[in-house]
Amino acid sequence: MSAPTKEETTPVEPQIQAVGESKPSRLKTYGFYGVLLFFAILYIYPFIIQLVTSFKTNPDATNNSLSLRPDPFTTQAWETLATSDFPTWFGNSVIVTLSVTIGRVFFCSLAGYALARLKFRGRVALFTGLLAIMAVPGIVLLIPKFLVLNYLGIYNTYPALIVPIMIDAAGIFIMKQFFESIPVSVEEAARIDGAGTFRIFWSVVLPMAKPALITLTILSFQGSWNELGHFIIATNNPDLYTLTRGVAGFTTGALGSGNQYPIAMAAALLMTIPTAMVFILFQRYFTQGANTGAEKG
Amino acid sequence: MKAGDPQRQQGAGWLFVTPAILVLGLFLILPIFMALWVSLSDWSGRGSPFTSETSFVGLDNYSALLAEPGLARQDLMISFRNTFYYVIGVVPLQTVLALSLAVLLNNKFLKGRTFFRTAFYFPSVVSSVAISLLFLFLFAGGGAINKVLAWFGVNGPNWFQDSRGLIHIIGDRVGLWSISDPPSWMTDPSVLGLSFWQWFAGPSVALSAIMMQVVWTTAGTFMLMFLASLQDLPTEVEEAAMVDGANKWQRFMNVTVPHLRPTILLVVTLGFIGTWQVFDQMYVMTQGGPAKTTLTPAYLSYQAAFTNFQWGQGAAIAFILFALIFVLTTLQRWLLRDKDAAAQAKAERRQRREARRRPPGGGAVAEQSQRKAQTT
Amino acid sequence: MKHRTRRLSTLVAFGLTSTLAIAACGGGEGFDDEGSGDGAAATDGGGEPGSLVMLIASSGDAETDAVEEATAAWAEESGNEVEVRVASDMGQELAQGFAGGNPPDIFYLDAAQVAEQANAGNLYEYEAEENDDFFPALQEAFTYDGTQWCAPKDFSTLALQINTAKWEEAGLTDDDIPTTYEELATVAETLTEGDTTGLVISPGIDRAGAFVVGHGGWWLNEEGTEPTGASQEVLDGLSYVQDNMAEGHFAYAGDVDAGWGGEAFGTERAAMTIEGNWIRGAMSNDYPDVDYTVAELPEGPAGPGTLLFTQCWGIADASSNQEAAVELVNHLTTPEQQLEFAEAFGVMPSRQAATDDYTESFPDDEPFIAGGDYGRGPINAPGMGQVVADLNSQLEGIANANLQQVMESFDSNAQAVLEQ
Repeated sequence: MSAPTKEETTPVEPQIQAVGESKPSRLKTYGFYGVLLFFAILYIYPFIIQLVTSFKTNPDATNNSLSLRPDPFTTQAWETLATSDFPTWFGNSVIVTLSVTIGRVFFCSLAGYALARLKFRGRVALFTGLLAIMAVPGIVLLIPKFLVLNYLGIYNTYPALIVPIMIDAAGIFIMKQFFESIPVSVEEAARIDGAGTFRIFWSVVLPMAKPALITLTILSFQGSWNELGHFIIATNNPDLYTLTRGVAGFTTGALGSGNQYPIAMAAALLMTIPTAMVFILFQRYFTQGANTGAEKG
Repeated sequence: MKAGDPQRQQGAGWLFVTPAILVLGLFLILPIFMALWVSLSDWSGRGSPFTSETSFVGLDNYSALLAEPGLARQDLMISFRNTFYYVIGVVPLQTVLALSLAVLLNNKFLKGRTFFRTAFYFPSVVSSVAISLLFLFLFAGGGAINKVLAWFGVNGPNWFQDSRGLIHIIGDRVGLWSISDPPSWMTDPSVLGLSFWQWFAGPSVALSAIMMQVVWTTAGTFMLMFLASLQDLPTEVEEAAMVDGANKWQRFMNVTVPHLRPTILLVVTLGFIGTWQVFDQMYVMTQGGPAKTTLTPAYLSYQAAFTNFQWGQGAAIAFILFALIFVLTTLQRWLLRDKDAAAQAKAERRQRREARRRPPGGGAVAEQSQRKAQTT
Repeated sequence: MKHRTRRLSTLVAFGLTSTLAIAACGGGEGFDDEGSGDGAAATDGGGEPGSLVMLIASSGDAETDAVEEATAAWAEESGNEVEVRVASDMGQELAQGFAGGNPPDIFYLDAAQVAEQANAGNLYEYEAEENDDFFPALQEAFTYDGTQWCAPKDFSTLALQINTAKWEEAGLTDDDIPTTYEELATVAETLTEGDTTGLVISPGIDRAGAFVVGHGGWWLNEEGTEPTGASQEVLDGLSYVQDNMAEGHFAYAGDVDAGWGGEAFGTERAAMTIEGNWIRGAMSNDYPDVDYTVAELPEGPAGPGTLLFTQCWGIADASSNQEAAVELVNHLTTPEQQLEFAEAFGVMPSRQAATDDYTESFPDDEPFIAGGDYGRGPINAPGMGQVVADLNSQLEGIANANLQQVMESFDSNAQAVLEQ
């Protein structure tokens, strides 16, 4: 779409400039920023509309969808949310996300370390199995997972929401890759001092793995906060709904008749805020993740 | 490793992986076998599928879905058709958009790069449910999108209610046929329960809106991957090309794109895997409608089991989808591989050696975040 | 495996939160238990005696509050506990409940679902007190296989709503209120102007079906054993809608950017719509400024025709508290209680004993009540859900549809299901 666009605004005038000893002409700069700005608006404006709409009345939202001035200004949508089940869902999402994240980081590190460093029979077979599991598309497991949760008698419980998504093959893979990059000498020194395997893992190796741990934490947080499919099949008890599950119900008439756009926008906005905060705080690591991925090719 | 006590490592090794094996085994491997059984049974969704009330029906569910004429096969074929158009629309578009954004951001004189990068990437970390609600609002009949279209004198469609296929509409506009009275050479021949007219409908207007949403959402992550790869492009190569007198576009096609080839391959593969599984948007926004034009295999499988009590069929659809994704990704890898395969393999080996020397955050991080971005 | 698990838990103590430890062990042990046990799904369904779970599909706060109040009163009186849950997706939540062996004890059940659920063995058969007092048509609607499975909760029928202002603007008077399909088409044409469409209806057989009935047709034969979709009467009924849409006097709600007929009517994109009396709540809450009158649906060539919608209080076969549940139903279906519900969220009582009081309090609902005499209930045969869904999806494109083909495909799909 825009690769050619950029070229069009900077017609055939090759040489030096792109690589960059001299500054590009003013006109070209304007064109270039014009294109960028267009995309920026395309990406930011919807979120602004979302924010503004949450302070509108429903008729105002329906009729003046593009307007940035609520008329009349009202916090009705937010009040409705506050008195609905929304706080429960939010709480559940926090509980589930925290548990999943802590569990995933710990257990995936543990398994990743074993696969990277410890010599035990069946290790290679396990790793192959892990790669195979990573290839299973998650969405086809919805029905099967429901069957198992039911069979185990934990359907409609917190463990049903948490445990199945607590271990993630890709997470183990990430940690294994990282541990392989740490020099062995450090662990050997500790071992000579007589430290046990878990001790070495916990107090020597894990602290060195901070970047990978942060990456995994972010991915787990984002993944479990945004998860929908698993939460649909793991419970039908409104007390256990997470945000995604609960808010998804807004479109199927849980709020009664009509569209209720302001409430939907307020809910969408609220459930975005935690992700946004994590994103802004750890942006560096998000980027890093993508970097290493591209190298892998 | 000499200092390690082999006996102890044996035990500790297994101990360390036990939680992972337990959970993955219980919630990944066991479910697959249970579902396999259900897909071969007539379980009605009441009580346990392992009692004598449930009987083995062989491949009945599969044949109803694939061989026998009827509603089951018709719906599955509709969902395949929809997803096919969805995939061939979304994958190229998101790849091109991601690459374009990356090239824009890679400009050396760009000010405020972090701001733009954040803006483009942000939607891909937001929950698909939140984004779906937002787009339902933006694409409503009197919504923001149509308001903007009206500035240009375009009377926007009623996006999520409009079941007309794009190919149908285009054919209608150019006078090839009339939507209200499709020609019999299109409606009469039928393959697998759908007429040519239905097969060649193209994505419906409603599905197109979802496609735009997904492209918009996921392009950011892929952009980051392209951006990283672009920053690795050795300046000397580009300078050499410049000395040769190549213009920008030539340089882009002959130097940049080949350099990005592995990344493009990765992005396309991830795109394929993700798009075939699309579910969340259908669950939240359209429930398969209007007129089944946003029905996808993943949603159909869910619907068959959870709302129509046809658990066997639902499980069978899941396995068919699994097989399909597997075959398609294998095929696609093979197709995109052929020519420079040998050189490619060599380069990959070298890269891997380098990667091993460098401490990475983990090669699969991005891959995993991709999958999340796609499926959520 | 066992001793490893124990050693693991020592490890876990190192740095994990207790939640996780519980979660991890919960998963593991559950598997062992089930593995050595008989393998049947755990049925903690009904919970301890005296506690009931009720699942309702609520039209809004008014309904939720009224039902909660009524059940709470009974709970207090009888010493039971009732938890009222509002479903966001009734069908799916019920299905998960049945499959999980823990369905709600008592739930709203649509007449169209009764055959399906009864056939699957999910329903507990019971009879409420004074069963004969329920409207006969309603008793019939919940009868499958010779058995009435549950007690009718309330009902509604379709009627014609007319926007008073638009009606007067177009120079129409009370005498012009349509009594035949031709007249309906004529006034719809008169009322169609600018942004406003004469008649806007929700898509699908639940609206268009009224015109099929008016033409003397129905989707299945009287016994419900054979599909009759491609019969002339059905085609005539659908063609009537199709023709008027082609001329632009009729439209689907989606075509005027509304989710359903009531929304189109409320936003005044529609001068008339066809809905049940549930439209009253929506109008008074969301569009209090729109004045409207209600009339019976006009008569078709084969006489008056409307559709009847009703739900019953379903009780789960898997419930461990069926007796208490039946008592609760008895409490909820007394004429007094039904009138209270009517007052709170405008549903029409299913008991004849309550009808007089109802019409006295709601004289405007007369046209809806009148439909009770000739209204037709939904298709009631197991497995028809998908077939009907497919028909509905095809009728979404009714404007361009080849009706003959659509109905033939309906017939062959229905045939396949009914033969089973």
